[in-house]
Amino acid sequence: MKSLRIQLTRELIIVLALLWGVALLGIYGLMWRQLNRSFNVALEARALGVSALVEQHAGRVELDFSEKLMRGFMAGKARQYFELRDREGGLLARSDTLGDNHLVPPTGPATDKAVYFDLDLPNGRPGRAIRFLFQPKADDDRPPTVTSELIVAVDREDLDEMLGGLLIAVVSCGGLLLAAVFFVVPSVLRRGLVSVQRLGMQAARIDAASLADRFPAGDLPVELQPIAERLNDLLARLETSFERERRYSADLAHELRTPIAELRNLAECSLKWPAARDATADQDTLAIALQMETLVTRLLSLARGERGQLAVQNEVVEIAGLVAATWGPFADRAAERGLRVQMAVTPDDLSADPVLLRSILGNLFDNAVNYAPIGGEIVVSRSLSGGLSVANTVDQFSPEDLSQLFERFWRKETARSGGNHAGLGLSLARTFASAMGWRLEAALVAGRLVFTLERPQTPAP
Amino acid sequence: MRLLVVEDSVRLQRSLVKALRYSGHVVDAVGDGEEGLWLAQSNAYDVIILDVMLPKRDGLDVLRSLRQSGRPGHVLLLTARDTVADRVHGLQSGADDYLVKPFALEELLARVQALGRRAHGLKESRLVIDDLEIDLLQRTARRGGLPVELTAREYLLLEYLAIRRGQVVTRTEIEGQIYDGQVDPMSNVVDSAVCNLRKKLALVADAAPLIHTRRGLGYVMEASAVRPSG
Repeated sequence: MKSLRIQLTRELIIVLALLWGVALLGIYGLMWRQLNRSFNVALEARALGVSALVEQHAGRVELDFSEKLMRGFMAGKARQYFELRDREGGLLARSDTLGDNHLVPPTGPATDKAVYFDLDLPNGRPGRAIRFLFQPKADDDRPPTVTSELIVAVDREDLDEMLGGLLIAVVSCGGLLLAAVFFVVPSVLRRGLVSVQRLGMQAARIDAASLADRFPAGDLPVELQPIAERLNDLLARLETSFERERRYSADLAHELRTPIAELRNLAECSLKWPAARDATADQDTLAIALQMETLVTRLLSLARGERGQLAVQNEVVEIAGLVAATWGPFADRAAERGLRVQMAVTPDDLSADPVLLRSILGNLFDNAVNYAPIGGEIVVSRSLSGGLSVANTVDQFSPEDLSQLFERFWRKETARSGGNHAGLGLSLARTFASAMGWRLEAALVAGRLVFTLERPQTPAP
Repeated sequence: MRLLVVEDSVRLQRSLVKALRYSGHVVDAVGDGEEGLWLAQSNAYDVIILDVMLPKRDGLDVLRSLRQSGRPGHVLLLTARDTVADRVHGLQSGADDYLVKPFALEELLARVQALGRRAHGLKESRLVIDDLEIDLLQRTARRGGLPVELTAREYLLLEYLAIRRGQVVTRTEIEGQIYDGQVDPMSNVVDSAVCNLRKKLALVADAAPLIHTRRGLGYVMEASAVRPSG
């Protein structure tokens, strides 16, 4: 499994090790070059010192040996060497330290330009030498005519020791830094990624029982805050939908349990006291069966509608006639409750599924007739956009109720004493409306609950 | 026992009342929370059978109000809500028992019976006073090993007096428990019922009287009576 922390640790260690390696190599290179240059400058100064002691006199070269100046070239000290040659390579003079030995230059003739080279000294130690041609100064005013070759060599042990020490320092430094990187990077990353790890652990703990928990977005680094906020939004939506499903299951169980309890008690009473069996027992049984049948039919219609399994067959419907026909069965109940009814639907042809439209209107009328307060008013009219509107006066209906109005099993009154009113009518009406491609909305306008059934902008196929 | 049924489903209420009455209880029934609370606060019910989802006032709300007002009646919650959380919530709100719909009628009757016994501080289903033995489950009485033939109402009267043995039971209390409170205050229906019960309990000529009259107060049922009267 890919781990962000392990991947970052590995890459950071590699990158940091490379950077440190390059930096240390650069430092070592610069210092190596500087030390070598200083060593060469010192060697050149010594060689110039020697060349200054050489004079020519009438075509002959002479070395003005000064013990004080030439102390380093004397036998016994054995750290510095020189060899003076004529142009043809013939030996003119050499330092005591050389004894009978020669300083062996690289092949090729010497030039005016000084050339540095490493060599093995007569005592077997490594040395550095300078070689160049020069014209010894004349001891009179005549211009010099003779050109000589001078090779000066010195023991380079100090330089090598210094360079060796530098290399050891650089390598140890590199090793220490690498160890520090190995130790520091994982712990820094572990600390830095603790928020990510916490977020991950909290996310792993989410299940159906902990949907009310939220990620503490405020405590997280800014980079993680959007993730936590989105997750919190998602959790809130999940919680709402889980809650809705839970409520739905509980409501469904409740809707079924009550009629089953009625049925069971009825049967048990009749069995226990057969002589005292009520004359209404069979009517009650039938009423309970019909109530459960209605519930099951409605639930099945809802399920089919929500799965898009309703076969919609649009045809030309004369709306005023359909409204009047649908209203018929509700007229008595409306009159019984003293409701004033105003039908303001003019004849017009619409393209709709007559069965679904009738069912939607039936549910809206049923709702209006049963829930408008006694003596209230129901108005059925065409909406501005050409749809239909069913409005009824309401009592104790709050704007908060609007958001739940279309939920399955929702009823303003929580008690389930309403017989066939299981709270499915409005959700069924909305499902049927969407199946036809229509929209069913509700609004609370000036003390009236107004349902608006909107036609689609383009006729449904 | 005197019971109150608060259930909004008319059909369920009807069959519950029928079953409880046939089981020998005195039952009042209402269909909404407000009326239920009013009745529960106005009368001394042994057991209240309370639906949770009620119109006007939620059953749990009724229960809390009852408990706050200090009414001693035992409450059995009757509901379609069956989760553990619902049961715990119901019991924590002050219910004495919880029954989920649909339920077996026999179970409901047994639970009501058990709550009734608890209401009177009884742990056993048999009451023994001197040589009288009452089986609260079988709803029968025997004296000296011989069965005592009683009508349903006479049994109720005997059971009520026996449950409250040693205490003075007033005529009003008997009217409320046995006659649903529907008794003309001027009638002597309670006195004649007690008289009939005494006769039925006197199976043999020298049987010791068990029901004693406290003049101006009411009746006491106890074994150690030494001064028969009334």
